[in-house]
Amino acid sequence: MENKELLKQRVEELAGKVNGEVEEILGAIILKIQAPYIIETLTAAKSFADVPCDFLHDLAGLDLGDHFEVVYQLTSWNGPQRLRVKASVDRENPVIDSATRIWQGADFLEREAFDMFGIQFKGHPNLKRIYMWDDFEGYPLRKDYVTEPIELRNLVRQRKEGE
Amino acid sequence: MQALNNLFLIIADFIRSLFADPHSVWANLTMDVINFIIVVIIIVLAALILILLERKIAGWTSQRTGPNRLGPRGWFQTIADALKLMGKEDVTPAGADRILFKIAPMIVFSLPMMTLAVIPYGNQMAPINLDLGIFYFLAVSAISTLAFLMAGWGSNNKYSLLGGMRAVAQMISYEIPLLFSLLGVVMITQSFNLGVIVQDQHTIPFIALQPLAFVIYIIAGIAEVNRAPFDLVEADQEVVAGPFTEYTGLRWGLFFLGEYGNMTAVSALAATVFLGGWQGPFLPGWIWFWMKVGIIIFFMMWVRWTFPRIRVDHLMHLAWKVLLPLSILNIFLTGLGIYIYRLVMGG
Amino acid sequence: MSIDKTEDLILNMGPQHPSMHGLFRMVVHLEGETVTEIDPKIGYLHRGIEKLAESRTYTQFIPYTDRLDYLASPHNNWAYVQTVEKLMGVEIPERAEYLRVIFGELSRIASHQVMIASTALDIAGWTAWSYAFRDRERILDMYEMTAGSRLTVNIMRIGGMSAEPPAEFWPALKSFLDDTPEMLEEYYGVFLGNEIAQGRLKNVGILSKELAQSLSITGPVLRGSGVQYDLRRAEPYSIYDRFDFDIPVRYGCDSYDRTMIRMDEIKESIKIIKQAVRDIPEGPIMAKVPKVIKPPVGEVYHRVENPKGELGFYIVSDGSTKPSRVRIRPGTFVNLQMLPIVAKGWKIQDVVAIFATLDAVLGEVDK
Repeated sequence: MENKELLKQRVEELAGKVNGEVEEILGAIILKIQAPYIIETLTAAKSFADVPCDFLHDLAGLDLGDHFEVVYQLTSWNGPQRLRVKASVDRENPVIDSATRIWQGADFLEREAFDMFGIQFKGHPNLKRIYMWDDFEGYPLRKDYVTEPIELRNLVRQRKEGE
Repeated sequence: MQALNNLFLIIADFIRSLFADPHSVWANLTMDVINFIIVVIIIVLAALILILLERKIAGWTSQRTGPNRLGPRGWFQTIADALKLMGKEDVTPAGADRILFKIAPMIVFSLPMMTLAVIPYGNQMAPINLDLGIFYFLAVSAISTLAFLMAGWGSNNKYSLLGGMRAVAQMISYEIPLLFSLLGVVMITQSFNLGVIVQDQHTIPFIALQPLAFVIYIIAGIAEVNRAPFDLVEADQEVVAGPFTEYTGLRWGLFFLGEYGNMTAVSALAATVFLGGWQGPFLPGWIWFWMKVGIIIFFMMWVRWTFPRIRVDHLMHLAWKVLLPLSILNIFLTGLGIYIYRLVMGG
Repeated sequence: MSIDKTEDLILNMGPQHPSMHGLFRMVVHLEGETVTEIDPKIGYLHRGIEKLAESRTYTQFIPYTDRLDYLASPHNNWAYVQTVEKLMGVEIPERAEYLRVIFGELSRIASHQVMIASTALDIAGWTAWSYAFRDRERILDMYEMTAGSRLTVNIMRIGGMSAEPPAEFWPALKSFLDDTPEMLEEYYGVFLGNEIAQGRLKNVGILSKELAQSLSITGPVLRGSGVQYDLRRAEPYSIYDRFDFDIPVRYGCDSYDRTMIRMDEIKESIKIIKQAVRDIPEGPIMAKVPKVIKPPVGEVYHRVENPKGELGFYIVSDGSTKPSRVRIRPGTFVNLQMLPIVAKGWKIQDVVAIFATLDAVLGEVDK
């Protein structure tokens, strides 16, 4: 428990610097920030005194309707500390700095978020679609993505035009 | 007993006796044609039996049954496979070098025919009794390198090309220790004639005098016929099927026949040179010969289904840094042995 | 004019290639036999499982998790149902926890057996392949007894297990556990102890500790690189804190140690299962959960130690019967990042071996 208290203290200190909010849901500490602060936040979190969050476990996009969030699950190689950093990204112009400079392992994860949500990671060495083919249109995991296959969509359109 | 031993000679004499002059040109020509047909039959039969044997051995080593559906215990499986291959479409890939692509399998298939022709299958039973037998055998079998490269280049496929390149590198490297390992025996017998070599083994097979050479020969021989652990040429996991990737139907079947024919030829040479060929008590010579060949073939199959594939750089190291020095050492030791023998025997 | 460098040969391996474990594709730049660059291409098996989750109820999604790492399907079920249980705050019965451990560890053994087999196959050890698959068959039989299916077993439910193992399950399990040491010896004898196999695997594809940590590599690949990190110890989920077992670690950082670590882990799994069989209590296997699963608004991230790497689920609930977002963090997808970095400069044969020791299952990589 001491570990968690310490982590919370560090996160709150950091939140003051990066205009973030600290939340706790189901026992997990969540730090909500704006996209421009992401590199500063992650760098700081990686080198927290005593409770470093130096293991980028996961990076995922999240569509909240009016904006996107990029969710970083941080943990440590040496301790139980877990931190969830959520960076809010503008929906119209989804741009955020790439974490590949801090963790090489962010490479594929960021490509996936780009593929699924269209979030641009600035500074990523090879930001291409990873699951979908290169000339695929749209971003499948956005809430407004139409899941019907393109042929069906065209068919519906033709019928509508015919009417 | 004697009749059984000379069964084929008696048949040959009978056929010759049908001619007015048993040693006329026509009689010789007829005998050559018959010999040729027999060699082809040997290759085809060997392939038929060996493919099934290989699958049975594979099943045995990996604790499963192997083919067991067609005929008694699956004995007709290969025949069904051969029929299936005949029914396949003959595809030539677009952009292939058509001539090279088409003649490569024929060359591969024709080589064991040429090499198996000089092997003495029994006393006086070599289809062609050649004075330079070993020399001829090695020279002809070296051509298969060219055929693999032709197939690899002609297919217009990168995997095939890689496989063809590997074939050249591997087979040329292993040609040399293979040749040197046989030199020891040639030094002892003072002859390249396979018949003479077998005759000289009536007291003791040369494996007892040349154990190191035998081991080198078997290793280099396995590499020479591209079987695991030296099957880099057709390594599925890396180059799909090497030079054979683009082949279908009977053309692919010819490669297959050629591979098993080559394997038989290499084993036959090993049996002839090291294991005493047709020499052996009680049983007719030709049965002894095939038993010895069978043992070597079984050993090669056993190795194939036990060992993983060697790495390409290790392959080269083994040939140039291990086998070649060892084979030269063997030649040296043989020469020393002959010298001492002569000193002692006063020759 | 002198020609210093010839043009590279660009070779497309996959998605249909004998050693590409499913539908993986990589574009390999070759100079002779040496690989100068690798560009992995994935997505040929992408089914959009995350998107599918958004239109399924929480219970309906369980079978989809089977299709992630289909070689260890109970483990995927486990990761998912535990995440939902954590979100809902459900306590599950003791017996169900023990059964989950037994099935989870059985699937770990099965998965590692496939890994050993396919690594053997990728360096052309055909016989070793069939030995490992022969033994894995017994685990599949045990799945079949209990769940009715062999590969995608769908055996766990939110709140417990779907079925109680039948009476014949326990003797089968016992004889399997008793035979395993002998099996491992056999694998070692026929495959890993072989001179040629060691020549193919030792000192090949060095993944240093620092690189592994920077790439967020998890699972046996990480432990083969000298990092003793296992979620079952680092952050015990379920009832792993009750068992006595070791976290094997090897410091070779090469393909050989990445393979051997699997052998070590099978031994540890056997230990865990033996203890679980000894301690398992009687009782119900399902907790009382509502018919319609409706978790409260909230979000949860949970990860478990899958046989091939850590599998994480991030579920965001909006209070309805369907999740608002299910994010799957597949272990092998992240682990795959090491391939272009580590395999550079090795021979094409070594690339195949390195890829095999990664033990990527494309069902999980492609989601």
